[in-house]
Amino acid sequence: MGEARLKTYSYEQSTEWFKRAVKAIPCGVYGHFSPAPYVPIEAYPFFSDRAQGPRFWDVDGNEFLDYMCAYGPMVLGYAHPEVDAAFEAQWRQSDANSVASPRMVELAETLIDMIPVADWAFFARNGADVTNLAVMVARAATNRKKIIAIQGGYHGTTPWMQAPGHHGILPEDLQNVVRIPWNDVNALKRVIADVGDDVAGFIATPYHHPVFADNALPADGYWQQVTDLLHKNGSLVIVDDVRAGFRLHLGGSCEKYGFKPDLICFSKAIANGYALSALVGIEALRVDAAKVFHTGSFWFCAGSMAAAMACLNVLKEQDGPNLMAALGKKLTDGIVEIAKGHGYAMKVTGEMSMPYLRITDDDNVMLQQEWCGECTRRGAFFTSHHNWFLSTAHTDDDIKHTLDICDDAFKALKEKRGD
Amino acid sequence: MASKVNNIIKARLNLNAVLRNLEVLPTLDAQAADIIRQWSLSVRFSIRGNMTTRLSFDNGRCIYDPETTAPADVSLYFWSCAHLNAMFENRANPIPLKGFSKLGFLKNEFPKITERLEYFLKPGDAQLQDETYVRVNTALSLYTGAFAISELIRFDPVAMQVGKMMPAGVLQLSVLPDGPHAHIVYDGKGGAAAVRGPADNPTATISFRDCATANLLFNGKLDGFGAIAMSDIKLRGLIPLIENTNLILDRIPLYLQ
Repeated sequence: MGEARLKTYSYEQSTEWFKRAVKAIPCGVYGHFSPAPYVPIEAYPFFSDRAQGPRFWDVDGNEFLDYMCAYGPMVLGYAHPEVDAAFEAQWRQSDANSVASPRMVELAETLIDMIPVADWAFFARNGADVTNLAVMVARAATNRKKIIAIQGGYHGTTPWMQAPGHHGILPEDLQNVVRIPWNDVNALKRVIADVGDDVAGFIATPYHHPVFADNALPADGYWQQVTDLLHKNGSLVIVDDVRAGFRLHLGGSCEKYGFKPDLICFSKAIANGYALSALVGIEALRVDAAKVFHTGSFWFCAGSMAAAMACLNVLKEQDGPNLMAALGKKLTDGIVEIAKGHGYAMKVTGEMSMPYLRITDDDNVMLQQEWCGECTRRGAFFTSHHNWFLSTAHTDDDIKHTLDICDDAFKALKEKRGD
Repeated sequence: MASKVNNIIKARLNLNAVLRNLEVLPTLDAQAADIIRQWSLSVRFSIRGNMTTRLSFDNGRCIYDPETTAPADVSLYFWSCAHLNAMFENRANPIPLKGFSKLGFLKNEFPKITERLEYFLKPGDAQLQDETYVRVNTALSLYTGAFAISELIRFDPVAMQVGKMMPAGVLQLSVLPDGPHAHIVYDGKGGAAAVRGPADNPTATISFRDCATANLLFNGKLDGFGAIAMSDIKLRGLIPLIENTNLILDRIPLYLQ
């Protein structure tokens, strides 16, 4: 009698919804949810039905332990009772309104208390809203044009931050953005030597988490050298903490790495899935931030702000960053060990609360794609191109079940390859 | 009015991506094979201050040499890239520098093969109902795209920037189950070379379920994203290589209609 194996999923309803989607929506499902990076495509669902804790169910009724966490916003688990209650209470009282809500003031005060760098806070809806604002503030404050960014770094889809050749992007959109490699202080020095008197600021994520590539932590002393060089040059340091914010440190990821930027952009995990972003900054930039005109119809919706306060409070109570890091370590250590047992080498990079894993036995990620697909069709939602995310809702039992899935996926991989 | 740079790129595409298909057309189409069966001569295309290429016909085969100065039986000269492009649009004639005894061939015989190529590269709706035609059109479109990439990445300002961001790797494009295949070798320094046929160890692959799927996409009649979601087009491997290749391919219509 053969060894018991896990059931694999099929996605008939997802496919039917996608057929309808492509007729009504460009691309069917667009942006970072588009099917293009989901390889093999037949291993992945396109449409979800419901979600609870660390799980979601797709429209075919398949259950997934979610290690993408909505690509970051889900940090406490879906449908978290305290966050949802805070949102609902505020939403019933007033969400969109003609004047601002006191919740905005309370949330700003909360962030100023939590984040040592923050002397003020500004709110919007998406990460790009505040990366754009940060760049505008830097330009306004310095009266300079150029922004230095990291090659492969992502700060939203605004034209200035997209790569050349993308549709709708003009060469002029990119002419004031200078890209340098991550962890390369000499490259930064060269840019400052060349065009330093026109450098408004430097924007980077706290550690480098590109897609389709190993993630890289800051080298020892990197951020300190960067901030020293830029400040000496009269330029500002902007941390894009949209993805990592509140998963590494509740005071901003810069606290984990021991440096002081001038501006920090937050979104994703700030309100456990409710739409909100925040820019916080140092006192010296308060007036410049006030002068920049930047707004949006939904930026004052108070429900998300109430949700954010509840979310940050729970994260603090749970010691969220350390809990997620421990869960991530348990998960990744387990996967590495299981992979080894099947004769595969697995490399783990990045921070453990949002790790990037890659099978190193191939040089074209195809093995990695197959394995992630096999895991997903068994109920552990893994992508092969992007870092994963842990939440505080994942439990040891969830990790154990996930490791069983990983084991079965490796068996399937070996069978497919005839090993 | 087309800029000088645009004319240079267009001329390079006309020669190195489009005309180059004469190498393979006789292997795909019996009528094309018949046309060149008895030919034994070479034709050089020289653009002043720019590129020189040569087509050689012998024993039923056609060989295309890009960027060669090798002698040819017939030498056709063009004052400029715009002049060559005008010839491709039937708006101008080349200046024969050598091979006056072959002028009759150039006037009466050579156009038969270029017209056959044009027939397969400019499909009408009726022709696309013919399975044989679709197979040839698909293969030529695939090869044209592949060879166009190695030109665009060198000369098109946007494609050059895209190319500089691309890692080294080999992208294979395959029409399943039996081909055609082509692959593009990216050197990781902003250069690329196209090759007909499958690669030994591709870094990324784009596979079309069948010829009809590929043909619909190449002729702008298929939503690529929908086809990916339905597994009619399968992507594997280093997806940025595919995404950036698509950005380069999207430049082709700026130069070739």
